[in-house]
Amino acid sequence: MKLAVFKHKTKEELCGLLRTDPAKDPLLARFITLGLPNKKSEAYRYFPIEPLLEKEYDRAVFIPKPIKEDQRIEIENGIVKCAPKGIRVYYKNNRHVDMEHFDPFYYLGHLLASNVIMIEIDGDVEVELLHRFTLPNTLIPYRLVIKNQANRHATLFESFEGEHAKSSLILYGYDLWTAKESSLRIVNNQTIQNDGYALIASHKFTVEKQANLVYKTFDFGDAAALNLFKADLDDYAHIDAGHLLYTTGNAIGGTVSQIVHKGEHSTSRQEAKNILDDHSRGIFDALIRVEHHAKYAKAYQNSKSILLGDDAYMAAKPQLEIYIDELEASHGATTGQLDPKQLFYLRSRGISQTEARKMLVIAFANTLIETIKDVRHQEEIKMSFEKTFYAQAKG
Amino acid sequence: MMKIENLKADIGTKEILKGLDLTLEEGKVHAIMGPNGAGKSTLSKAIVGHYDVKITGGNIIYKGQSIVDMEPENRALKGIFLSFQNPVEIPGVNNAYFLRTALNAKRKHNGLAELNAAEFLRIMKGHLEGLGMKADMISRSLNEGFSGGEKKRNEILQMLILEPDVIILDEIDSGLDIDALRAVSEGINKMKDGKRSFLVITHYSRILDYIKPDYIHVLKNGRIIKTAGPELVAKLEAEGYESIEEEIR
Repeated sequence: MKLAVFKHKTKEELCGLLRTDPAKDPLLARFITLGLPNKKSEAYRYFPIEPLLEKEYDRAVFIPKPIKEDQRIEIENGIVKCAPKGIRVYYKNNRHVDMEHFDPFYYLGHLLASNVIMIEIDGDVEVELLHRFTLPNTLIPYRLVIKNQANRHATLFESFEGEHAKSSLILYGYDLWTAKESSLRIVNNQTIQNDGYALIASHKFTVEKQANLVYKTFDFGDAAALNLFKADLDDYAHIDAGHLLYTTGNAIGGTVSQIVHKGEHSTSRQEAKNILDDHSRGIFDALIRVEHHAKYAKAYQNSKSILLGDDAYMAAKPQLEIYIDELEASHGATTGQLDPKQLFYLRSRGISQTEARKMLVIAFANTLIETIKDVRHQEEIKMSFEKTFYAQAKG
Repeated sequence: MMKIENLKADIGTKEILKGLDLTLEEGKVHAIMGPNGAGKSTLSKAIVGHYDVKITGGNIIYKGQSIVDMEPENRALKGIFLSFQNPVEIPGVNNAYFLRTALNAKRKHNGLAELNAAEFLRIMKGHLEGLGMKADMISRSLNEGFSGGEKKRNEILQMLILEPDVIILDEIDSGLDIDALRAVSEGINKMKDGKRSFLVITHYSRILDYIKPDYIHVLKNGRIIKTAGPELVAKLEAEGYESIEEEIR
């Protein structure tokens, strides 16, 4: 199938294609309002979406199997294979979604996924979630709902495998609920290389009263991969979002986001670090909106980019949309080369220019990687980054 | 050890060094003094190959070889070391890792085996105490969040570990309290072995109470205008640089 089949269709035609009833499914109405993305769409203006829409894919077949017990959650081609004891993982026909999301693929993902995968995390636990893709040239849509419990503190480490999923398109994402007075950390570690799959992740985060969500993404490689999310913050809620992007070849990737302060004293911190090599393009198109009821909110947003390749390009667009006076907010973006003073300092101690450049790039990345306090996962991310970086440097 | 001949150098479009001659003798301490803007820091940058400085004439001969076209890292590997006036901070580069990389680059250059982390730590710990440096400074990012005094001590630590042959100290005394000045000076004096040459760039005589110079050179308007023994310091303190100019006239 081609995703372009959803372009310029009437409501009735879409109902037939998606086998849904618009009267029962407000999602469809919302998708029709937003339309299938094109190069003029706000969320996809820097991302080459049209080739992905025009490409002919096989469609992954959704046949759920019994979920085995294992150390981690594994989802293969959108189907849960196993999950650890104590974590409730099940399927549900879910249409409880955000009707104000900016991304049409958020709605299309929900419409294409027969059931959502529910993950209920109870207790103060660390959970590993592996996404595995094994099918080449296949459209793999699936959605997750992740919930934790009030007053609990959980961590979810996400990783990805997909060496056999060449030319596939993954449309996934989660609706995530951070319960009141809880904390949830999501760490997403993804490397896509050697013309692997393309990925569009479209998420919605709800951060309830006095809850704390930490969301860190580490995206490395030469693929097309876009991470889109909308986060709603209630009173005294906090989000700490960090994004490290290292792209090579002709890759295009990054983050498109909206963080919406809805509650008083809500706080947000969003930091992106982008390292772009060769002809690759990075995207940081991020809006923080402070609404009328969000008095005394604090919002901080920053993007720093290093261009290593002569043809590398960064589209950095940090934005604040503010409707009140009682707040603290700042945002900024810088794009440049490696700092010549730092480079010279290292060389003045006998370190070669090549090695000094490597040290500075790794140092730039480490400032974000080292915000992951879990030593094992921090090391895993460092290894993923350095493996990609040294492979590139060697090539 | 090093001979600088008729050196002319620009920063941007401005000529700063205008035909400077200076010979650094083996095992001797040379102090350069001079008013602001005379070209003292430009001289140090020219010797180590800083990208700010464009050499437009003259030569720098080090161990019989011209180094004006040599890359900065190769000058360092051959034994030239600059202690920076304002050492740069590099977040994310671990201080110990940086020092070991630098030391191993030098060892490799000299045909010696590289040191592993444990061997390197043994060497470094020996120096930390003498410099009054806290152990955690080696596990922090390079110079990040260091006070002015800590940065200068870290420069001296690098010098002690890399064991260079020509040591240029650009205002090593600026921003140091008495204790730090003493610790830094002791570190420098440890390196005196009768073979190494020192070029101490300073505005003040107090560092020269700790590091006894053999020669004082007065640099003004891009040239060395007077060279004398250590007794010149007292004259400069008392009468200023104008007196030297008048004397020459």
